[in-house]
Amino acid sequence: MRRIAPKVLFLVLVFVLVLPFSMALGQDPVTLNVVGVTVPPEELGSTLDLAYQALVASVQEANPNITVNAIETPPEFETQILVDLAAGTAPDIWRAGHAQLPELIEGGHLLDMRQCTEVVPELTMDRFVPSVLAIHQPEGPDGPVYGLPNGFTPMVFYYNTESFERAGVDLPTSDWTVDQFLDSVQRLTLDTSGRNAQDPAFDAANIEQYGFRVRKWAVLENLAWIWLFGGDVFSEDYSTVDGYLNSPETIEAITFLRDLVLQYHVAPEPNALDMMIQERAFPAVFLDGAVAMYPRGHWELVGLQLQENYSPDKLGVVGYPVGARDATIAFEDGWVINAAVADDPAKLEAACQFVNVATDVEFQRSKVETGLEISANQASADESVSLSAWPDLEAVFVAEMANVMTDPNARLVAMGVIEPRLDLMFENILAGADVTEEVNLAVEEIERELQR
Amino acid sequence: MGGPFLEECLMAGAYAPTTHTGKWADERNLWQRFWSRSNERVGYLFILPAFSHLVVFVLIPLVFSAYLSFTDWRGPNLQNAPFIGLKNYEFLLGDRQFWAAMKNTLLFTVLFVPISMAVSLGVAVVMNQKLRGVWFFRTLFFIPVISSWVAVSIIWITLLDPQAGILNYLLGQIGIAPVNWLGSPATALLAIVIIATWKGLGFQMVIWLAGLQAIPQELQEAAAIDGATRWQSFWRITLPLLAPTTFFLAVTGVIGSFQVFSPVYVITGGGPRGSTDVVVYHIYTRAFEAYDMGYAASQAWVLFAVIMFATLIQFWYRRRQGEETMF
Repeated sequence: MRRIAPKVLFLVLVFVLVLPFSMALGQDPVTLNVVGVTVPPEELGSTLDLAYQALVASVQEANPNITVNAIETPPEFETQILVDLAAGTAPDIWRAGHAQLPELIEGGHLLDMRQCTEVVPELTMDRFVPSVLAIHQPEGPDGPVYGLPNGFTPMVFYYNTESFERAGVDLPTSDWTVDQFLDSVQRLTLDTSGRNAQDPAFDAANIEQYGFRVRKWAVLENLAWIWLFGGDVFSEDYSTVDGYLNSPETIEAITFLRDLVLQYHVAPEPNALDMMIQERAFPAVFLDGAVAMYPRGHWELVGLQLQENYSPDKLGVVGYPVGARDATIAFEDGWVINAAVADDPAKLEAACQFVNVATDVEFQRSKVETGLEISANQASADESVSLSAWPDLEAVFVAEMANVMTDPNARLVAMGVIEPRLDLMFENILAGADVTEEVNLAVEEIERELQR
Repeated sequence: MGGPFLEECLMAGAYAPTTHTGKWADERNLWQRFWSRSNERVGYLFILPAFSHLVVFVLIPLVFSAYLSFTDWRGPNLQNAPFIGLKNYEFLLGDRQFWAAMKNTLLFTVLFVPISMAVSLGVAVVMNQKLRGVWFFRTLFFIPVISSWVAVSIIWITLLDPQAGILNYLLGQIGIAPVNWLGSPATALLAIVIIATWKGLGFQMVIWLAGLQAIPQELQEAAAIDGATRWQSFWRITLPLLAPTTFFLAVTGVIGSFQVFSPVYVITGGGPRGSTDVVVYHIYTRAFEAYDMGYAASQAWVLFAVIMFATLIQFWYRRRQGEETMF
């Protein structure tokens, strides 16, 4: 007993002396639960996986008191997060697509990121592409900022250079007009005898190469057309579609799209398109020259590269034609912080530190390697043109940033119901239904939804 | 009366003279009677797990969904679910898309129930013969029933492929042009009916077989002696005696058809042009894609009412036919 007592006394003394020092030197340990920094098991070791690992490591390295608990994204995460938020078990930080923002904002679940700029002053808003940051500012540039952008992609047209060459059509340029677009796709559409759609003897029943692809997806592919014709779907405050969706400009845009399919025969009818992609994915069909041009986002580059018939020389991208407006739509995902984090100052600071690192040039540079989207960090996006494997294509995407308009999905909770209704409207119109009649039906039904 | 039952009651005090009078006395006696029967107590204990399951997973969600249908709950917090009375139901009356889905569901029911019953009856009659290895074929027909809808759907998507599908190949052999089964609004629902019939064939066949095997052989033999053909015998003896089975399959078939979901979810997603947008799929999209839980709940209750109405009509028709005992 006498031999043990001095040792215990010594240890207690050391503990008492060291503890205040360690508390003064270090900060409280914080564990951040983060969803969105892991990949599915089949993608372990991929570029994206390595980028996420580097992000977590750099957050922990720069902030030794922070432990990042990277939670695997559960299936059906968009639903799961709502359940978790209701149950109080939601993660501290997660990546949310812009379409999820209205629901989360309305429920008061997201931290206003202006609180972060107070605790982490180096996290400034001027690092972001303004048009993409605007997606997170529903009340305008002076209002709250719900989440911060991570990456985005504007919609552009992919074209097959060989198809253009075969039809003897000049490659499109960024300032092309709707008339030039129509002229191009008509000349790009060739029947089995090699005649194009401007030839009076053109055989619309036997088309070998289509100039374009039109589908029913109202927001994904067609909303930008409506904008560039000078129309819109919603009023500025999203309270009505009457006078917008059925405005002459919008009707003109929709009629133009329908005519591409049914009058000019420069885009396959839905049934023909279905048949075309029964055996092979659309990117393979496109690279084979069955369709010369189609609208898609940055992620398509990854899919196209995986095709056996891929060759970088075949590929070009260009923005939507310039009409009454030079516009495109962008799809974006951002880092959002759980509003509950604000109750714990240490956690708030840690979460803001994480977002600071995640939106910094260093991590954002990884987007050039993964190729899925463009960085929403302006400096990173600018340098991506020189770092990308497709510098010419990347330059088009980056240039389109200036034309990005906000997807109504980022503003309106009811889009979950309205978007499928708009898709149905386009589906019926592309199958031959009367444009005005279909649009008026849609207006009537959407108005009911908005007034509920 | 009398004997052990009376003895037990007397021991329990059910008939014992009491100083209490009125309702309180009656209740007390009932309570005593209940607790005095140890075997009944044990019985309640046995059903307790199943009863708890029923309460927790069926009754409470049922009552909760009824409540939800009177709220504007768009998730995730129930605190943000204002009570709005009958407004969801009012809105539903003018909801064109919902009624279009109901129309599709009715069409599916009208096609699926008779087709599946007729096909499965035909198969059951063949499977009821004393053939060598018939058990093998019965098993074979039952396999789709226990197969996953997703796996079955993928197989059928391949079979119905407009270019490489075997169905179009067979049609091509008799000079019929390829059909875009799942891509055309005219045929997509029919394709779903075909798939659902194939998937449910084994189950219905087993029920028909049970019915067929319960028919006394003597009746068939007597009819044969009287000179009835096999068709006459089937039509005049087998089919009428299968009436309870027919009724059971019709009722369960209609209820199941109104609830069709999986093939639509996996194969067509409600398209093309909303032609396969059936009610349960419509409710699903409203609830879990648009997170409009309150309104989706009201749609579910309207569907319940429609199914209940369809079932009551069937029972009423059955009673009119003179059958008092249903199953």
